[in-house]
Amino acid sequence: MSNSSNRIRTSILALQVIMVLLCLVVLGRVFYLQIVQYDVYDELGEKNSIRQEYVDPARGLIYDRNMKLLVDNQPIYSITITPVNFEDENIPLLAQLLEEPDSLINVLVNDAKRYSRFRTSKLISDIDFKAFSLIQENLWQLPGIGHQIDSKRNYPAEMTGSHIFGYLREADESDYQSNESIRLGDKIGKSGLELIYEEDLKGDLGINYLKVNALGQSLGRFNDEKNSIAPVQGDNIITTIDADLQAFAEKLMKGKSGGIVAMNPNNGEILALVSSPEYEVRKLAGRIDKEYWQFINSDSTRPLYNRAISSRQPPGSTFKPLMGIIGLHLGIVTPQTEIYNSGYYIRGRAYKDLADPGLYNMESAIAHSSNTYFFSVMDKIATTGQLNAWSKLAKDFGLGVPNDVDLPSANRGILPDSTYLDRRFGKKKWGLGDVLNFGIGQGLVSASPLQIAQMTSSIVNGGYKIDPHLLKGIEKADGSIIESTNSSEKIGWVKDEYLETVKKGMRGNVLEGSGRYYAGIPGIEVSGKTGTAQNPFGFSHGWYTSFAPSQNPEIVVTVFLENAGWASISAVPIASLILEKHLKGEVEREWLVNYVLNFVPKEDNSEASATINE
Amino acid sequence: MNNLRNLNWSIIGAWLLLAIIGLVAIYSATQGPVSEFLPDYIQNNFSKQLVWVSLAVVLVLAFQFFTPRSYMQLSYLFYGIVMILMICTYFFGTEINGAKSWLRLGFFNLQTSELMKIATILATAQYLTSRRDISAENIRYAFIAVMMILVPTVFVILQNDFGTAIVFLTLIPVMLFWSGLPYGVSIYIVSPALILYLTVFDWKYGAIATVLISALIFIVQKRPWLTFTSLITGIITVIGVNVALTDILQPHQISRITAFTNPAFDPTGAGWNVIQAKTAIGSGGFLGKGFMEGTQTQLKFLPEQWTDFIACVVGEEFGFLGLGLLIVTFLFLFLRLLKLAGNHKHPFAQLVTVSVTAVFFIHFVINIGSATALLPVIGIPLPFVSYGGSAFLTNSLMLAICLNMEFHKREFSIYR
Repeated sequence: MSNSSNRIRTSILALQVIMVLLCLVVLGRVFYLQIVQYDVYDELGEKNSIRQEYVDPARGLIYDRNMKLLVDNQPIYSITITPVNFEDENIPLLAQLLEEPDSLINVLVNDAKRYSRFRTSKLISDIDFKAFSLIQENLWQLPGIGHQIDSKRNYPAEMTGSHIFGYLREADESDYQSNESIRLGDKIGKSGLELIYEEDLKGDLGINYLKVNALGQSLGRFNDEKNSIAPVQGDNIITTIDADLQAFAEKLMKGKSGGIVAMNPNNGEILALVSSPEYEVRKLAGRIDKEYWQFINSDSTRPLYNRAISSRQPPGSTFKPLMGIIGLHLGIVTPQTEIYNSGYYIRGRAYKDLADPGLYNMESAIAHSSNTYFFSVMDKIATTGQLNAWSKLAKDFGLGVPNDVDLPSANRGILPDSTYLDRRFGKKKWGLGDVLNFGIGQGLVSASPLQIAQMTSSIVNGGYKIDPHLLKGIEKADGSIIESTNSSEKIGWVKDEYLETVKKGMRGNVLEGSGRYYAGIPGIEVSGKTGTAQNPFGFSHGWYTSFAPSQNPEIVVTVFLENAGWASISAVPIASLILEKHLKGEVEREWLVNYVLNFVPKEDNSEASATINE
Repeated sequence: MNNLRNLNWSIIGAWLLLAIIGLVAIYSATQGPVSEFLPDYIQNNFSKQLVWVSLAVVLVLAFQFFTPRSYMQLSYLFYGIVMILMICTYFFGTEINGAKSWLRLGFFNLQTSELMKIATILATAQYLTSRRDISAENIRYAFIAVMMILVPTVFVILQNDFGTAIVFLTLIPVMLFWSGLPYGVSIYIVSPALILYLTVFDWKYGAIATVLISALIFIVQKRPWLTFTSLITGIITVIGVNVALTDILQPHQISRITAFTNPAFDPTGAGWNVIQAKTAIGSGGFLGKGFMEGTQTQLKFLPEQWTDFIACVVGEEFGFLGLGLLIVTFLFLFLRLLKLAGNHKHPFAQLVTVSVTAVFFIHFVINIGSATALLPVIGIPLPFVSYGGSAFLTNSLMLAICLNMEFHKREFSIYR
């Protein structure tokens, strides 16, 4: 008995000791966590529940020259997911609320998981408001799912202008590594004005401090509001574009391939700029349609390629007025010099000339596009060792040099000199035969429609070099407008008499040359010059550069049409209509509009292209 | 009927204090700002718990009209009935949070394993103390007693409730030890659990513990064969744990263990609960963030914060003062119960009181150990504090039995 009660006393003592010791261990642990490590866990707790959230500023708007709104922002509704909190069994419910098939949601959820299990990413964006509200109501059943309102670009005007505005895309790794103000997923300008004026348009990020729960659901602003930074709206861009003219030019180019530049020759303001075929910038604004994106990237018509500024084609006879100016300046010809065209220019071999046989001075040579005349000028330039001088003079008109237009990927074109030819063919491996063609804008000479428009502008504005541009001004958030400065610099060597001579030739081209069918506009004096770029693969590419009124021109229009055959019946009517629209405000020649809209290139003239005299 | 003044009011006071702490914490965890994220049936937990507590107070007082004799005699029958309920639960039970432990009884979901704790304690105690010559030193009696505990344990495991299974297993060494199992053997029975715990961190700790325990057994018992067996068992445990960790366990099971030894390894996955629980307690500091002000609690960073992680709610909102008070209250309750056991002359009363204390204690250690990351997260409620009707009523009933045996101590000794 005493033995047993002794044992009981010992046992009770043992249990008491064990319990006291373990309770002390637990108490010590609690003391360690709450008192010793308080700072660590206090910070952790704070980090847990306070989240920094960036507030996207509204992106700047884009206007046309008359302050017509071209690009604004539209709210879109997106659903976000944090995969770690999401349960796959909720996929059917989610799919049902979004009215999408389970399989699609499954794929999207898996995409999000592959991106990050723990970070919140966009599951689906640009959903309609009804689905968005349904999700919002059922959020409590869908842990890991969040919602957000952001914005997409909206294009309220009739014009498309895809190649002018450019599109936005989510920043990729290279973007956010090169610029620390860009975060993954930010939408940034990837082409066009959106890219060039990104810094002005994007505005400044705001910062909010939000209280969030464990599911990442926001519970409203953290009370310490003074830390929040309000977003600053991006600056608005006022462009030089005339939205009505642009829309009209786009309409005329439907179904055709090529580029149009319409600009004010006196200050370089671009009034319209079309590249066709054109991708649909509206389709790239919201949720990316992957099929469409793949289509425009891989289609053989290259809709993403801006033909108005990036293409590089021989300017053909549109180059002849500039040849004339250079010939006059170099003293090779005078306005009165006459050169006989026998139907061929013979120099080693016969170069065909389709202009009627006879005597041509510079004015008539331009009007009737006599090749012989300009072969002869180029011949003399080359044989008197002035090829490099010729090249340098032509570059003053913006050919073969980088163009400062405020759009990405403008082509500089080619204006060869001896260094270029040495590099291209090898030293002493080229000869007069390679150079003669330059005189009629063929061979290695090449330029974009923008450059030909710029060249034409300098011819018609009295010899001033201007910078083509799309920016008229920037409207700051406070309403003040900073006008862009128009540089115009007189090209020193150009004399008015040179210009007068070639302008007469260009007027003649409309009156009696290749422009006589479609170029003229009742009541307005119009001048221009057609051209053809050789195309070994099919119909020739047609050029037409024109201006009006012939005295004191207000507008230069350059049209380039791929595979359209004769420019006189393809490019000319388009330019003529654009001139009419700009100068008269509306187009009276409805029949010509219909002609252009229904135009189909007919004859295959590719064989004749080498000697075309348009 | 004795005078009610003879009731052990200090134990009742501790019990009520814990229940009140629990009610306050449950209120905050389900009715505070967090309620926005909780479904209705969980928001109701506070009012339901209030009903259970009130019901328990009546039950505990009413239970004092019983005499110990009645439930001593009925213990086998009770064991049998509850065992049948356990079997029913296995087939017809309702699953909540992955454990199929509930039997739907119309108005009330009965967690049969809770009731089984009482039944097992009473029946095993009755068996081990019904005859004078029965002692756990006799291998046959010890075996039967162990089986009486193991059978319900198996059903608890079948219900997928490992936390409760551990509680049942704890009864084996405690009850056998109390019934005369030699000290050395008792230490030997407990040793694998301790070695396992340490080996999970590092096999070297497990090896050191094996040597120390074997040495302790030799000092206490002076039996070379037992010491040797202990050494072998320890070595097998260490090797077994290592093999299990590398070859046998599934990745998700291993990740749970890694989450415990190194929660930062996968902070948003398996380590999430551990980190959030520690953060809740740690950020409470000395005074706490205040009632319904805890960000971890109110922003629902804690899972099951009205049951398994209720200590985190107390720790976050009432700080070291609150959690310290909770721990000290528990320690007070344990020591008072042990004192009660020591004062009993009747071995049944001693064994039942000690077993009840052990059950409370193991609940307490595992629950607070999980919340403070001393132990891997094992879902088990904190007695009297966590939400749960079955648990609160059965725990109170166990306490009522202990009080009842003391209340009737004089009459009780007559039945010896």
